[in-house]
Amino acid sequence: MSVAALRGRVIRAVGAGLWLAAASLAVTPAAADEAFITDQSASAVSVLDLATKKLVATIPVPGKPAGIAMAPDGRRAYVTSPEGQDVSVIDTAARRVLRTIKVGQDPLGIAIDPTGKFIYVADFDIPHLYKVDVHEGRVVGDAQIGASPRGVALTPDGKLIVAADRNDDQISILDAASFKRIAIVKVGSHPFGVTIDAQGKRAYTADVKSNTVSVVDLATHKLVGTVKTGLRPYVVALGKTSGYVTDEYAGTVTVFDLASLKTVKKINVGDYPEGIEFSPDGKMLYVVNWFSNDVWAIDPTTLKVTAKMQVGDGPRAFGTFIRKVP
Amino acid sequence: MRGNKMKALYLAGMALALVAPSVAFAHGPTRQKTTKSIEINAPAAKVWRVIGNFQDMNWCEDVAKTTGTGGNEPNTATRVLTLKGGATVKEDLTRYEPKEMLYGYFTDKIDVKVLPVNDYSGVIQVQAEPGDKSKVVWEAAFYRGYMNNDPPPELSDAASLKAVNTLLQTRLDALKKKIEAMH
Repeated sequence: MSVAALRGRVIRAVGAGLWLAAASLAVTPAAADEAFITDQSASAVSVLDLATKKLVATIPVPGKPAGIAMAPDGRRAYVTSPEGQDVSVIDTAARRVLRTIKVGQDPLGIAIDPTGKFIYVADFDIPHLYKVDVHEGRVVGDAQIGASPRGVALTPDGKLIVAADRNDDQISILDAASFKRIAIVKVGSHPFGVTIDAQGKRAYTADVKSNTVSVVDLATHKLVGTVKTGLRPYVVALGKTSGYVTDEYAGTVTVFDLASLKTVKKINVGDYPEGIEFSPDGKMLYVVNWFSNDVWAIDPTTLKVTAKMQVGDGPRAFGTFIRKVP
Repeated sequence: MRGNKMKALYLAGMALALVAPSVAFAHGPTRQKTTKSIEINAPAAKVWRVIGNFQDMNWCEDVAKTTGTGGNEPNTATRVLTLKGGATVKEDLTRYEPKEMLYGYFTDKIDVKVLPVNDYSGVIQVQAEPGDKSKVVWEAAFYRGYMNNDPPPELSDAASLKAVNTLLQTRLDALKKKIEAMH
């Protein structure tokens, strides 16, 4: 039996124990986390059960879906389709698209505010960030940002929005309430993914052309550090003490220390890794490999790969793709 | 005048977009990928000896000359392939994993007349197969030759994919022939 399979057994056994304990306390047991993976080439979203490590559903989503934002309550996922020029609203439990919302010309980067009321969508063709009211199902705001924006993120308090203006080598920082840009900070060359820490203090961009992660202080609007990565870094995930960045061309995840910003280790992953995100409890890291059509689980304490899960063709999962099942 | 005209056209486009949301006005191309492979009647180590040096692409029939620097050091090594037609292609080494018999490369800029693609990168690997045979797997990732809307047919998604498939397959077929003729 492989290490990964053995580990799965142990996890399931522990899970059963917890379930019994929870049942005896008359508390509803938490269901397993799921991953919603945008399979761009297949025009679909694959749903993975992260406890059984199995593909449990495939939802057709036309228009070459790429970006994703998971609602804080896990009931909806919002998926951008650059070729469909829309956002698909997915009922995560029912595994189906409820409706689509037309947004911009090339919607890609997407983030949701902590209340779950608004999504923010960056258009990689024109320098715009759109604010979409998810209940009304329409664009309610449109802000000018830098050229060819990619990733979008919000601070946990929902007050600031950060967009990676790829072709201007900068981030735009917007005040969410007024939906106005309040600062521009220069970062490395061609920032793609942007990730904000749990304290809402720092933003980390993966700069695809300079092979760096740029660290920006969101209060002072200053670049405070740079991390050297592998080739073609794409997206950053943040743990308690380390950062993890997918290196697309290197086929690695570079692990760096958040305090010293020094590289700690490189982990070999699948081919052309893109999306990366932690499980809600922070105990597992998931890496989405665009070329090899799979999602790998990495234990962040041992930095060992513990599972590989097959998905559809061309997975990207650019954004927040892990669902904490209510 | 010209500006006003453009603005009027833009506004007309916006109006049309509002009444006809299904009309696609603009969208950038989606990245494509392809994998080609070939089985070779020779052990993997022998095949790797032929193709495993990033600085030597002379095993490709269409390559006249390889010049480069940095050896097989990823993130440092570069090579320039001079094709038999005279065109040159500069490639950077992205991965080099001799234990896995694998390397990766990318091309920042390529003349679409040489290959109708943008942002072209690849990974080539030799895999051992039972019975002292091997398989060479070649992956390529790229955007079509025309990065804006409405590409001319020769720079479309389909044309780019076809050109890359043909290139990889032709090179793999020739590699098989060359190695199986070696004794």
